[in-house]
Amino acid sequence: MIESIILWILAICLSPFYAAVILKVKAFFGGKKGPPLLIHYFTLIKLMQKGSVYSNSTTFIFKMGPIASLSAALMALLFLPIAGRSPVLSFNGDVIFVLYVLGLGRFFTIAAAMDTASPFEGMGAAREAFFPIICEATMFMILILFFQLTGELTFAAYFTGIQTSGLWRVAGAPMLFVVMAFFIILLTENSRVPVDDPATHLELTMIHEVMVLDHSGPDFGLIELGAFIKLLFYSTFVARLICPIHAAHPFVNFVIFCAALSGVYVAIGVTESVMARFRMDRVSHFVLTSFALAFFATVITLEFVK
Amino acid sequence: MLEIIFLIPFVAALAVFFLPATAGRVLLVLTGIIHLLMTIMVWTIRPEAIFPDYFALSAAGLLSLIVISLLFFLISVYTAEYLKQSHIRQENIFTGSMLLFLSTMTMVTISDHIMVMWIAIEATTLTSAPLIFTHKTSTALEATWKYVLICSVGIAMALLGSVLITLAMDVGHVKTAVSFSALTEAAKQLDPTWLKAGFVFIFVGYGTKMGLAPMHTWLPDAHSEAPSPASALLSGVLLNCAYLGIFKTNKIMVAAGLGDFSGTILMVFGLMSILAAATFIIKQTEYKRMLAYSSIENMGIIAFGTGIGGIGAYGAILCLIHHSLIKSSLFLTSGNIHSGYHSWFIDKIGQLPARMPKTFVAFFAGFAAIAGFPPFGLFIGELLIIVGAFRAGHYTMAAIFMLSLCFIFAGLSNQVFKMSFGDVSEDITSPTPEKACLVWPQYALLLTSLALCVWMPDILYQTIMAAAAAMGGGF
Amino acid sequence: MIHPVDILLILVLLSVLFAFASSRLPVLIRILAFQGVVVSIVPFFLEHEMTAGGIIFTTATLTIRGIIIPWSFYSMIKKMGIKREVETIVSYNASVFASLLLIVAAPMLSHKFNMISFSGGTLITSTAITLVVAGMFLLMARRNAIAMVLGYIMMENGIYLIGTALSSGAQHIVEFGILLDVLAGVMIMAIMLQSIKQKYDNLDTAQLSKLKE
Repeated sequence: MIESIILWILAICLSPFYAAVILKVKAFFGGKKGPPLLIHYFTLIKLMQKGSVYSNSTTFIFKMGPIASLSAALMALLFLPIAGRSPVLSFNGDVIFVLYVLGLGRFFTIAAAMDTASPFEGMGAAREAFFPIICEATMFMILILFFQLTGELTFAAYFTGIQTSGLWRVAGAPMLFVVMAFFIILLTENSRVPVDDPATHLELTMIHEVMVLDHSGPDFGLIELGAFIKLLFYSTFVARLICPIHAAHPFVNFVIFCAALSGVYVAIGVTESVMARFRMDRVSHFVLTSFALAFFATVITLEFVK
Repeated sequence: MLEIIFLIPFVAALAVFFLPATAGRVLLVLTGIIHLLMTIMVWTIRPEAIFPDYFALSAAGLLSLIVISLLFFLISVYTAEYLKQSHIRQENIFTGSMLLFLSTMTMVTISDHIMVMWIAIEATTLTSAPLIFTHKTSTALEATWKYVLICSVGIAMALLGSVLITLAMDVGHVKTAVSFSALTEAAKQLDPTWLKAGFVFIFVGYGTKMGLAPMHTWLPDAHSEAPSPASALLSGVLLNCAYLGIFKTNKIMVAAGLGDFSGTILMVFGLMSILAAATFIIKQTEYKRMLAYSSIENMGIIAFGTGIGGIGAYGAILCLIHHSLIKSSLFLTSGNIHSGYHSWFIDKIGQLPARMPKTFVAFFAGFAAIAGFPPFGLFIGELLIIVGAFRAGHYTMAAIFMLSLCFIFAGLSNQVFKMSFGDVSEDITSPTPEKACLVWPQYALLLTSLALCVWMPDILYQTIMAAAAAMGGGF
Repeated sequence: MIHPVDILLILVLLSVLFAFASSRLPVLIRILAFQGVVVSIVPFFLEHEMTAGGIIFTTATLTIRGIIIPWSFYSMIKKMGIKREVETIVSYNASVFASLLLIVAAPMLSHKFNMISFSGGTLITSTAITLVVAGMFLLMARRNAIAMVLGYIMMENGIYLIGTALSSGAQHIVEFGILLDVLAGVMIMAIMLQSIKQKYDNLDTAQLSKLKE
């Protein structure tokens, strides 16, 4: 239990660091030196020291948005088995609960964005609401698959200890498609290239960033931290799936996990460096691919499990 | 030595590609004569095949063979003259393809192995595609594209069906050659489910090639866009080849005791084709397309008769022979009409007796024959089919059958009378010259059809009876 | 553990998915080449002992289905300089959904008819059914002439797969005849494609609608 809580705190603390890995990889591809790996800590500290500015037209919902989204992310992380250890909280069916907790966080972000009554933010909110719908279908497809394989509906059953390698043993090659599908969900949910470009400066083409334009100071810091945690949350899935090794010693285990996690972040960085952002109408096509892959994996696996 | 009969046209075709155009024409007629002689020889001696697993003679195959051979000879005479008048670029390709077409069709008639049959029928599609594309216009392009694509896809279905029939053998633990004759003998041991599935796919596949509705869409286009001799070959013999595939498979079905299943399918699709043809003939504006729809109708009649079985099957085979003779003569005549009027539209044709008297005789007699007037064979065939339908108790279907025949008769006669005696805008000063070689083949075809009604050689009668016997035919 | 053929066949099924989603002809051709290769090497995995004739025939199939046909189409589109996307009747997203349905339906079908028991691998029949239906779908759902021909080839691949999986002792000479027929058919279609391109300067089959009734 204590170990789980320590891991939870560690994960929160490490999430800004890993986000900076992406920046470093992109800088490397661009032939630049790039910002230091601790850049996000500096940014967060800087933001926390500032004051906030609120528009006259906004209400309390606008102020609630950042807090709600951060707490949703923290809550979700509680259920996640980090480094293959059992999570802080776990009950049967928690996967669905966690998905909707994240959905709640998104709802408040969207509500806060709509509250500003800015046309740009409304546009971003509409997109933010649309793409995750397809992601959700993919997630559920993967959950159906996992449920068929393990007979349980908890993250703990999928990602702790030797369970993950068990998934591979039963399902085999189709798990590759699940990994790909997860990776696409990761890119979509966290607004990365090629779905969305976090570094762009044109509001028209943004999805996530455009929604938080009006937040400033500590509020923005909370949103940023929430985003880092969410990214870590999804990356953990992929990391565990691509590296299901379970070592006996907790520390060794943690090191392996961190290495796998860095691999995932580097992969995100590489994707961002080599791919261009999709045209908005192609994005749904891309996200749909993840659904197709997950669906395909499920059908194929059921074929074998029978 | 049976295989020689399709190897000779094949070799001739290869030769034609390297010969000058005029020599090609001579070789075309020459091959026609040789092929006819060899066919008569096959009928009298019945030689054994070198590869008995793949090739064998059958009653239905023999009938198709003699029809193909006779038709090809007469059409080749017409073609030699036709090619002199029309300006076809790359004439060698045309004559060569015709010979290859003959070769592949002959192969269909003597093939006994299911897959070899498929190979041969697919090959007829490929060798006839250049014939349809001869004029290289945009409409010819469209017709050929549809023909190649629809028929290839359809025939791919037939391949699937053939595979399923081999599966029926495996499931039933039948260890014989994969040939129609062997399978008919062992039919009772075949797995019925897979046999049924195989028949359905083969029927859809070869039915597409045969022009049964609703898979017929390529047929009017291909027949109207091909040069007239090629249309005559397509309609006269190619459709028969596809029918042969269905006929032989149906034979297995009947032998396996699944005749009701296959018969119902044949009857329903046959009636659908007749009905579809009836609707399109009535409002048709081009006479060559009208003839093409009439082919669909006749294929429907043949499928219907085969489905009824018994006396109806005998009628169907009569229809098959006579339709080939009459329809090819009509297609050749339509070529003459076009060369006189330079139009395919019914409106533009008129005063036929005054302007082209010899053509008119061939055209009108052909019309009378195809519409089923008494002295001609189609009348007898259709009558037998109706009798068979009543005997088997298919009253509703027989009623629909007769009604649609009436519609088709009305539609055809309306159009033909318009073409024959209607007015045309331009004045007719003198009859258009008509070359003997462009008329006599049609006369010969029609006379053959007429002669067969009056006097049928015993050997022919026996063969027809043998073919129909497989469907429980005879009187 | 999974049969090695099944891994290949899973990839074939996946390639169907991509063929439906892809709007570019080179991708489609590459997918077809891949399918051709897999479909032709399946006999190597199924039969325990290969005769010399079997090996020669399989190699010939591999050359024709996996190399010659795709390569000729590839060089054709290069020569024609076709860059545009494939014209569709059914949109790509709808096609992807259709392919998903197909991938669900095909195993169900092959279970229903109890086809599994005849073949070596678990997935052969369902893959074959998928290929046949997918080929037909491409024929109907695409207006681009090349895509239609590619659909036809996909269908042929599927039928060949059914043939190898289901019928045990087929004669290679007959199979070879079928192969030659298919090759000749595809070549004739290729000639037609070039004529269409010459006449209309593109390959949209919507233009081929002059003949009616």
